[in-house]
Amino acid sequence: MLVPLTSLKEGESGKITSIKANPRGGGGWGFWKRLMDMGLTPGTKVKVVKSAPFRGPIEIYVRGSRLALGRGMATRILVEIER
Amino acid sequence: MKRKKLRFALAGNANVGKSVIFNQLTGLHQHIGNWPGKTVEKAEGTLHFKGYEVDIIDLPGIYSLSTFSLEEIISREYIAFEKPDLVINVVDASVLERNLFFTLQLIELETPLIIALNQIDIAQRKGIKIDHKKLSEILGVPVIPTVAVKGIGIYNLLEAAIETVERGIRSPRGIEYGKEIEEKIERIAAAIREINLPYPARWTAIKILEGDKKIEEEVKRANPDILRLAQKMAREIERIHGHSCSTVITSERYEVAGKIAREVQRIQPVIKPTLSERLHDVTTSRAFGYPIMLLVMLSIFYAIFTFGDYASTLLSDLLYGSKPFLDQFLINTLLKELIWGGVIEGVIAGVTIALPYIVPFYFILYLLEDSGYLSRIAFLMDVVMHKIGLHGKAFIPVMLACGCNVPACLGCRIMETERERFLAAFVVTLIPCAATTVVVLGLVGKFVSIEWALLLYIVDLAIIFTLGRVAFKKLPGEPTELIMEMHEFRMPHLRTVISQTWFRLEEFIKIAFPLIIISSLIIKVIELAGMFEPISVLLSPVTVGWLGLRYEMGIALIFGILRKELTLIMLATILGTTNFGVVLTPIQMVIYCLITMLYIPCIATIAAFIKEFGWKKAILITLFEVFFAVLLGGVALRILEPLGVL
Ligand SMILES: Nc1nc2c(ncn2[C@@H]2O[C@H](COP(=O)(O)OP(=O)(O)O)[C@@H](O)[C@H]2O)c(=O)[nH]1
Repeated sequence: MLVPLTSLKEGESGKITSIKANPRGGGGWGFWKRLMDMGLTPGTKVKVVKSAPFRGPIEIYVRGSRLALGRGMATRILVEIER
Repeated sequence: MKRKKLRFALAGNANVGKSVIFNQLTGLHQHIGNWPGKTVEKAEGTLHFKGYEVDIIDLPGIYSLSTFSLEEIISREYIAFEKPDLVINVVDASVLERNLFFTLQLIELETPLIIALNQIDIAQRKGIKIDHKKLSEILGVPVIPTVAVKGIGIYNLLEAAIETVERGIRSPRGIEYGKEIEEKIERIAAAIREINLPYPARWTAIKILEGDKKIEEEVKRANPDILRLAQKMAREIERIHGHSCSTVITSERYEVAGKIAREVQRIQPVIKPTLSERLHDVTTSRAFGYPIMLLVMLSIFYAIFTFGDYASTLLSDLLYGSKPFLDQFLINTLLKELIWGGVIEGVIAGVTIALPYIVPFYFILYLLEDSGYLSRIAFLMDVVMHKIGLHGKAFIPVMLACGCNVPACLGCRIMETERERFLAAFVVTLIPCAATTVVVLGLVGKFVSIEWALLLYIVDLAIIFTLGRVAFKKLPGEPTELIMEMHEFRMPHLRTVISQTWFRLEEFIKIAFPLIIISSLIIKVIELAGMFEPISVLLSPVTVGWLGLRYEMGIALIFGILRKELTLIMLATILGTTNFGVVLTPIQMVIYCLITMLYIPCIATIAAFIKEFGWKKAILITLFEVFFAVLLGGVALRILEPLGVL
């Protein structure tokens, strides 16, 4: 089942399948290239470590390092939950 | 013997230890400036080793060589155009995979390369052991293990660097992509070899397949057919893989980085969480994150202001104490007035801000940054900053701005794109700095009530949010969101922090002093020419008619351009009393403070703004804020008066 990265609970992992375009336009090539360059490519395993209070960014563990990711971006990353 | 000259560049991800290595290598022989025309820092230094004079450039910390940020463009253009004799790629051994992704790109750019495998102590603590010999074999590049903060491996690094240059550099082979991709890269590269471009052909081919706008432009200018060919190839790759071509290439690069990392590192899971781990958990936890942050910030502000106040008084006593001594040399009274009132007062003003406040501010900022805590603050504050279209990192300049707008303005460099930099700097100029706080507390807080002072802050905050939002909506370009690596907590390296602070101080002096001195001289001339009265009268339609202030207050506001606290000091001088409650009405005080908070960034901030964003934007922002503050002041008057609350 494909779900946005933000719907994973703390401690859950998933495999990235795709990244949705921004529905409101904007967040084009630059945004998306940035995600790729930080290692969030399709097929990559990510683990949600924590989400900041008040619907803030989420902390993920990916490719051996810890990243903070804005929530808007994270909702656009679709993952397949791994249990 | 004439020394042979070499140029080395340090490159790597953010926070890998480049600054520390740079410091270890160059010691005091360094210089920090900006890249020409860019708001990006450039650190240069020299060292002498075995008869060589080596210039070292510390390139900005980046994750990739694409065109996402200014830093990335600057780095790749430097490497491709300036062709340093060697690039020292600093690699964080504790996050090898991510770092190798960047290394692979350097190799692809056909850069002469050696690797400093840094932070092996931290990697060890995380249970990671790396076979550096094997890594070197796989990459075809010398790899030197280092622990920069302890100076371990630095000598070896330098020796290996020189040896690599002397031996002549073998170009390491880049990674091989899948067959269907390689084939296309080769075809495009063959076409590119026909045209004349400053970048290596294979790299250019890969970049246009990735859809890199800047490179596409250049290829298109040389021969649009090549670009069309590349786009056709890219579509084919997309058809095969079901993802965009850029995704496919980046994925493969990461796959290779991951494979190499797994091959050379052995991980023994650590059972007990490390101290860094536990610190991270606490400082970002739901329950303790914000309280800890608040506590840390309050104690920092308290410490800096206590120290600053003390040191500032001491310094100005000392400097003013030298007046009789200096007076002996100045016979001519007019000249004396000008030199004292203009130049020396200006210098004193600068010194009494810079040393007691700016220095500790920077020092603590760098301690926080290098320790890793700043990125946790950015994580926590992302939600708030998001409301004005910025992301968590922008909180750092905002925090700085509460102390002084000048370093805050310069601190906006940490934002990734020009748009974000400008937006953050605009918000920064609206934030009441320490001097403004002194005025608000000293006037409204003391003679009206502390609640009214607080209310002023709340109103100011609301205005900042509103204006920030408007600017965010109006500015062209796409907003970016937070995407930031959170590193291990580490002990900062004191010498590096001190030298960073030192260079910041130097920068502050260069930017702020000339303008502070010139403008205090101008104000002195106006005073000596007896122009205060006419100017006050000239301003009175605004000050008295629109704002309901006393007409003398216009001059005090003009002084405030120099330094915000002068709006209070000059007010006392002009009105001839410090008991403002007697000569001013509460409404006048509230309006006056409201205007002081917003009406103009001080001259030093304007100077910083000019340096970072150019004259045009600086003037625009300044005029806007003056106009806006006056408008708001008048409106506030018309609301407050009928309400009769004051
Ligand atoms: N333990 C340890 N800490 C290091 C090492 N190298 C750098 N650091 C620390 O890592 C942090 C980031 O280093 P810095 O040079 O500022 O990184 P830069 O962003 O690459 O310039 C600082 O707190 C350094 O003191 C190392 O080899 N071992």
